[in-house]
Amino acid sequence: MSDTITRLNAALEGFASPEHRVGFAASIGFVLSLILVAGAEGQEAPREDGQWTMPAKDYAATRYSGLGEITPANAARLRPVWTFSTGVLGGHEGQPLVVNNTMYVVTPYPNVLYAFDLTEEGYPLHWKYRPDVNPFALGIACCDAVNRGPAYADGKVVYNLLDGHTVAVDAITGREVWKTKIAELSIGETVTMAPLIIGDRVIVGPSGGEFGIQGWVKALDLETGRILWTGYNAGPDSQVLANPDTFRPFYDEGTELGLTTWAGDTWKLAGVPVWGWISYDPDLDLLYYGTGNAAPYNPEQRLGDNKWATSVMARRPADGALVWAYQFTPHENWDYDANAEMILADLTIEGTRRRVLVHFDKNGFAYTIDRATGEVLVAEPFVEVNWARGIDPATGVPQVDSTKLTGASKGNVENICPSLEGGTSPASPASYSPRTGLFYVSTNNFCMSWEASEAVYIVGTPYIGASIPYTPGADGHLGAFIAWDAVRGRKVWEIREKYPVWSGSVVTAGDVVFYGTLDGWFRAADARSGELLYSFKVGSGVVGAPISYTGPDGKQYVAVYAGIGGDWFLVAGDVRSDDPADVRPPADFMPDLARHTSQGGILWIFALD
Amino acid sequence: MVVVACGGSDSGASTSPSSDAGDRVFAGGVAPPTEILENPFDSDTDAVVVGEGLFAAMNCGECHGGGGVGFVGPSLVDGRWRYGGDDGELYQSIYAGRSRGMPAYGGILADAAIWSIVTYIRAQPIPESVPTESWR
Repeated sequence: MSDTITRLNAALEGFASPEHRVGFAASIGFVLSLILVAGAEGQEAPREDGQWTMPAKDYAATRYSGLGEITPANAARLRPVWTFSTGVLGGHEGQPLVVNNTMYVVTPYPNVLYAFDLTEEGYPLHWKYRPDVNPFALGIACCDAVNRGPAYADGKVVYNLLDGHTVAVDAITGREVWKTKIAELSIGETVTMAPLIIGDRVIVGPSGGEFGIQGWVKALDLETGRILWTGYNAGPDSQVLANPDTFRPFYDEGTELGLTTWAGDTWKLAGVPVWGWISYDPDLDLLYYGTGNAAPYNPEQRLGDNKWATSVMARRPADGALVWAYQFTPHENWDYDANAEMILADLTIEGTRRRVLVHFDKNGFAYTIDRATGEVLVAEPFVEVNWARGIDPATGVPQVDSTKLTGASKGNVENICPSLEGGTSPASPASYSPRTGLFYVSTNNFCMSWEASEAVYIVGTPYIGASIPYTPGADGHLGAFIAWDAVRGRKVWEIREKYPVWSGSVVTAGDVVFYGTLDGWFRAADARSGELLYSFKVGSGVVGAPISYTGPDGKQYVAVYAGIGGDWFLVAGDVRSDDPADVRPPADFMPDLARHTSQGGILWIFALD
Repeated sequence: MVVVACGGSDSGASTSPSSDAGDRVFAGGVAPPTEILENPFDSDTDAVVVGEGLFAAMNCGECHGGGGVGFVGPSLVDGRWRYGGDDGELYQSIYAGRSRGMPAYGGILADAAIWSIVTYIRAQPIPESVPTESWR
């Protein structure tokens, strides 16, 4: 950690007063709490209307709720007040919406959309929308048939179907307004991400990094569903929408970077999917998203930096023009997708207010980046990292440990940290409180071995070429929920968990942060200290992201999905019970998760008693 | 090696509810065989070796897990079958595909290759009891 980018931290050591310094002290036990700079990095909280209309609450993707009824002083009085079985067993990632006293819930495949009337006792349905989704998509989705939620605008609920369509549904009547095919299932494209609606544009992207797709983002017209533009994440400038006159990456020079950084025509099977989250800065008029892994997993089949895999992209919503890009993991060897959210915040760095985006990458580093230019300001590991010693502050390039490089000619490369599940998963988005100035992050504590082999491309089948067993990380816990100071690049507190933490989080104006665990505990913690305030065992492991909203009665509520899935459906042993023809042995790195949870989609709502 | 499976297509937006039925004829594009199917290799050990190589080369393990222990697709070594587990039924699953994501390899692989894969799968040891857990 000490070798990593430190120029700003070094400056801050002398700059910060002792009581403003934060530190991380390892100790045994569940809760490590600390010191905090109360609001030192804070900013004006956005206006709160008690609704949740976007996947990550706001354009900045903060997952910050301005509601303050629930506080550390009263959180012990939280109680579940309502539950609902979605009738679906797949991994319940993402989050509901609350708009005009209606809660909208999208399930995993078959992507049912429920509209609950929050004004009536028992929250009965206004309506239920059941799209016609091609079941073949079940075998094309790499990592369980998940969906990360809908978005609302202009009277429409808009979301993606696993089989490659985007639908807009009338929020009042439940009638389908339009349906657009955006992805091609037969070449390995599915869609799991939550769209973001920017003005009259719906921004969407595909999954398929394990199928050799050529990843992209598209903008659809909110009114009609018509595709307005497509920007690829690899390929010629004409496809990437990188105009030499307007594309200004901070560290890179030249043209056709999405073409020349791939050996031969390997960019055509680049992978580079968009399965995470999108954020938007209205002042800069830039949208931001992260791109996924390069394909295949055997990096010797795609020599070069492989731009713009594992990168953050900044584009204009109007025409998709790429304004800047930064690659977190050039020529990535470890499936370090960069699809995790880009949280927009204004932080004081070296005494200057900076417009930044903060990103917690699967590669284990947390980045604080100038969101106007793409300059990396802070990059420090937030979990155990050994594939790189740090990020070169002059170039933004990781200082890679060459003994951790993988490839078919290298045999089995052992003990690479973090694992391909990531230091954090993009499936478990972080939150940010402008009151505490802290970011709240779900983390994993795994390492892995990587034995690459020659991958064969067969259209519509996996294009991978690696065997990758996991091993537990240090200290006997497989995950933790942490608070992060993105100015200093330091962990402030952590709550250690027995299993990887795979839920998202929401932090509130009451300074309470909510998250869930893989073994099915829904938790509330003090956002400043990390003290656990409340835990309740919900019906299944939590891989969704909680939200907070105001009910028709004026009370503050917190809603969260239970429903283990995602990667843990694949590799965690026998967490399913619905298919008599599929019984699985326990995972050697996590042998007893199925003792604590099994599949099941349940929506839970909590409030003070 | 590049092999193209075929799929249906549609494009653009529609303003009314639509069916995706056309998308569901996926890959292969040939009618499934109707005659009685008999494995020409039985448990021939050479065919097992060939089948193991094809299982890897055709990306079977990328969905069903290395050794067929289950991943995105179900386990092939637990002695349990969604669509039947005798030789002819396995051949049909590989040849014509299955609706929840199993591609049809009938237009891609020769008969002998499919039978080799069937022979490899059938040669895998089946546990005497299902591997459920007691945690004691």
